[in-house]
Amino acid sequence: MAVAFSEKTKERFKAILAKYPEKGAALLPAMWLAQKEFSVITPEVEEYVAKLLGVPLVRVHEVLTFYTMYAAKPLGKYHLQLCTNISCTLLGAEDILEHLKDKLQIGAGETTPDKKFTLSTVECLGYCGTAPVLQVNDDFHENLTTKKVDELLAKLK
Amino acid sequence: MPTLTIDDQQVTVDQGTTILEAAKKLGIAIPHFCYHPRLTKVDACRMCLVEVKDAPKLVTSCSNAVRDNMVVFTGTPKVEEARKSILEFILINHPLDCPICDKAGECTLQDYYFRYSSQPSRFKDNKVEKHKVVDLGAKMVLDSERCVVCGRCVRFCREVVGEENLGIFNRGDHSEIGTYPGKKIEHNYQGNLVDVCPVGALTAKDFRFKCRSWLLCKADTICPGCSNGCNAVVHFTLRSFNGIKGQRVFRLTPRENNDVNKIWLCDVGRWGYSFVDSIDRLTTPALKKGEDFVKGDWDTALRETASGLKTVVERYGPSAVGVIPSPHLTNEDLYALKCLFSCVLKVANIDFKLPGLDKGEGDKLLLKADRHPNTRGAELLGLSGTGLSAEAMMEKVKTGEIRALYLAGSDPVKYIGEKAEEALSRAELLIFQGTNFSASCKLAHVILPGATFVEKEGTFTNYQGRLQKINKALEPLGEALADWEIFTRLGKRLGAYPSYRCAEEVFKDMAREVAPFNGLSYQKIGPQGIKIADSSQ
Amino acid sequence: MPEPILSRNFSKKNAHTLGVYIQGGGYEALKKALTEMKPEQIIQEVDKSGLKGRGGAGFPVGKKWSFIPKEAPKPKYLVINADEGEPGTYKDRPIMECDPHAVVEGAIITCFAVGIHWAGIYVRGEYVKSIERLEGAINEAYAKGYLGKNILETGFDLDMVVHRGAGAYICGEETGLLESFEGKKGQPRMKPPFPAIVGLFQGPTVINNVESIAAIPHIVKNGGEWFNGLGAPGIGGGVKLFPVSGHVKKPGVYELPMGTPLREIIYKHAGGIRGDKKLKAVIPGGASAPVLKPEEIDVPMEYANLAKIGSMMGSGAVIVMDEDTDLVKTLRVLMCFYAHESCGKCTPCREGTGWMAKIIKRIEKGEGESADLDTIVSIANGIRGRTLCPLGDAAVGPALSFVTKFRQEFEDYIKVGAG
Repeated sequence: MAVAFSEKTKERFKAILAKYPEKGAALLPAMWLAQKEFSVITPEVEEYVAKLLGVPLVRVHEVLTFYTMYAAKPLGKYHLQLCTNISCTLLGAEDILEHLKDKLQIGAGETTPDKKFTLSTVECLGYCGTAPVLQVNDDFHENLTTKKVDELLAKLK
Repeated sequence: MPTLTIDDQQVTVDQGTTILEAAKKLGIAIPHFCYHPRLTKVDACRMCLVEVKDAPKLVTSCSNAVRDNMVVFTGTPKVEEARKSILEFILINHPLDCPICDKAGECTLQDYYFRYSSQPSRFKDNKVEKHKVVDLGAKMVLDSERCVVCGRCVRFCREVVGEENLGIFNRGDHSEIGTYPGKKIEHNYQGNLVDVCPVGALTAKDFRFKCRSWLLCKADTICPGCSNGCNAVVHFTLRSFNGIKGQRVFRLTPRENNDVNKIWLCDVGRWGYSFVDSIDRLTTPALKKGEDFVKGDWDTALRETASGLKTVVERYGPSAVGVIPSPHLTNEDLYALKCLFSCVLKVANIDFKLPGLDKGEGDKLLLKADRHPNTRGAELLGLSGTGLSAEAMMEKVKTGEIRALYLAGSDPVKYIGEKAEEALSRAELLIFQGTNFSASCKLAHVILPGATFVEKEGTFTNYQGRLQKINKALEPLGEALADWEIFTRLGKRLGAYPSYRCAEEVFKDMAREVAPFNGLSYQKIGPQGIKIADSSQ
Repeated sequence: MPEPILSRNFSKKNAHTLGVYIQGGGYEALKKALTEMKPEQIIQEVDKSGLKGRGGAGFPVGKKWSFIPKEAPKPKYLVINADEGEPGTYKDRPIMECDPHAVVEGAIITCFAVGIHWAGIYVRGEYVKSIERLEGAINEAYAKGYLGKNILETGFDLDMVVHRGAGAYICGEETGLLESFEGKKGQPRMKPPFPAIVGLFQGPTVINNVESIAAIPHIVKNGGEWFNGLGAPGIGGGVKLFPVSGHVKKPGVYELPMGTPLREIIYKHAGGIRGDKKLKAVIPGGASAPVLKPEEIDVPMEYANLAKIGSMMGSGAVIVMDEDTDLVKTLRVLMCFYAHESCGKCTPCREGTGWMAKIIKRIEKGEGESADLDTIVSIANGIRGRTLCPLGDAAVGPALSFVTKFRQEFEDYIKVGAG
């Protein structure tokens, strides 16, 4: 079945579109809406978004593969994104990473078999003063220690 | 107009000219990958860096416009070092297997490496692996590992064809060109993607691995694929390779002509050359004996033709003869034909306009609906409207009023179908002169083998009224002859006819006799052609 | 200690709401600018303030504005660069989270000064809270008549949009950002034409960093000279936010006079090195700034002074490394970052960053040789000054400085391994 936005999302999309002087500029926001609605930007979603905005399909795919935050593959319920850039690494991000791999029994870029967790390493998240930092979906967990990681994982159902 | 100095030579150029273009004017070639004179500039490859006096850094010559009194150096140690470095960067992830690459011999990267670098690789790590042998479209194949991400192909599709169907995916050294997964390029200009690709990333299915580029000879020609008259180069050889026996023509590539085809060629035209060496080429004169054709020599075939025509004219008058020439023929061929039939035999029924001749599918860019290179020439030579129309001739052949029909390269069955087939089969004398066997040819009593566009000299007049020249690259296959020569030989047997020895002699007569050609010569036509008339009505 | 300006609302409760912001004197500068000042006067004040672009390039803000043609065939635009992605940098985030109205107010004044009627804030995709707060502030401003048609009954119109990025460091580069804003990959554009002439949607475009824009209301309210005077004596240029991270006792964002010595930032404000260890190295302006050795930290944190010693001010993000830091690993982290973030458009950056990352990874694995260090230097020199945008040079900064300034440590690592 062809994908389509819900009525509510369509309204939101319309409102977004109205804000931009050029329609094509709404591609990134439209893909955010799509990701929220469909979780994954599948080929059907790409086609839908391309049609919605009247932009070439190939451009949607360029955008999907260029930016790191759009999901072309399904993610776990919790997307654990560990910053491994300089400030976090100076303060032990690699130990946290090893700990997470150990606990979840997956490598970076992988999802647990129960689809609960996806583990990713990411570049600087802008929380350098409270490093190391882990982004879980839209929440940030700062000043991480392995102990805090254990507590956090226990809380994530 | 700014005047600047490049490598100690002064040059004055238009405002807005780039350093690279100004240098070109002086004959100084600056290496580049992403720059293409017909595409937008992107400043990406950085191969064209040059030194500008008082500039803190090297500048890209492809994108920076010249300024008055600018002093540019294109060969300083700094520039040479930069070129070496850029080439080293490109080559770290590029396969170092030129000998097995089909682009070898005509690869910009290979040429630049030998000219500007020639240093061994310092790269010790693993190369990035990318997609190989990607079926990008019906006409070409992509090897991403050979791609230098110059983006010319992407811009060509977007800017010239007007289709955004190629993109560059991912980023950094994982950047890869491609179509949307699963989609293919379908437009009629895929061959140009291969042309604009400076390396072995995009290769044409029709050509790849058939012949090494350095074994090919080249000759200027005009694409015969439609009335647009795109300027082209034919690549050919007289040797047989790789078991591809008998193939002499290997490809057509575009030749720059701003007034006609810019620097492009469509796929229909580019890959329409295969008839030249195809199995159905007519290579010897032949005569119908019962149901079969029997190979004959020119003498016999011309004797049969001449006597047949003579008999019909003598017994029934010239109105019992019909001639349907093809606008595939050159002006010289058509003029020689006209001299023969109109002047010598006084035949009025000459018409090249078969119905549907101009009903192919054209496009907005180059390809015209009329798939004949010399329709305008045939018009200017008055090869229509002097007697019966081609269609009416068919009727009269059927009723027997026209007894002899001469098909010069034309194939009425192709355009009219069954009706023509029926008519032609009733003709008392049907002469077919042409390059390849066809449905009309099948019904002929005499077959006279003609030369193709690469086997003869001559001129075409394109739809704009531009006269352009084709050249003889190859000898006609077998015993085939240029059409003007066939008419000359026939003419001799039928009355007073000039003894033309070459196409140029025909042209000279034509230039004297036919108004639009007055005063012209092959020399005056030049490599870019010359406008002699308006576009057709 | 003088009153904080840029960070005054960082710890104030509900300062992100319009009410609290107005209580603190918010939007007074807007009223002054729109009702008492001419656009040229505003630009003059900003010129006098010595405010230089806080994103990293350090271009004088007033001058940037003056490049915008008065009459243009296409609409003019303001784009606020909130794609804070330079490793070590986290100064724009607290502004957007805690003081979003300062950004909105600064943006309205900027648009009025330059004659712009559409402004967009490009926020990196990860900054979810910043986006929420900015959108909240914009909605409040619309409701209050600070945005939209006929602002403060002056006839001035302005619309404002928050545009969310999607994960790409290169979008912090201004032309990459414009491409991304237009719904494309964030690949930098060829310059010229510069954005001031052909920018967003082909129109003349001002691009300013969040911190620069947030300073504008203060400059308008108190005058350019006042702001300039807040900088260190003889240096000027106002105050700046310095985000400090790494091995310090008190990491955080410090608002200090432009020209504050680096040593003072590390040892006084950030409390010195953790565990009172020795300092090994410090990056003064975000990951792209060439690293400094302990003997170089008396440098005033200011554009020209840092350039003089071969580094740069960048975003002003100070990253501190103590004596135990493994510099091979640290450089590997940075090189992998640049290789990952290179947009792939121009050759030297696309290929060079990836090559350097591969070499340093191999060295870290214990498979390096001394000649590899020379190769890194030569790759870096091959990138330097030859790329389409500054990302190439950004990668060169750490690569060259780490390997040349700490060559012995790298040599030792190659010979005997880590530690």
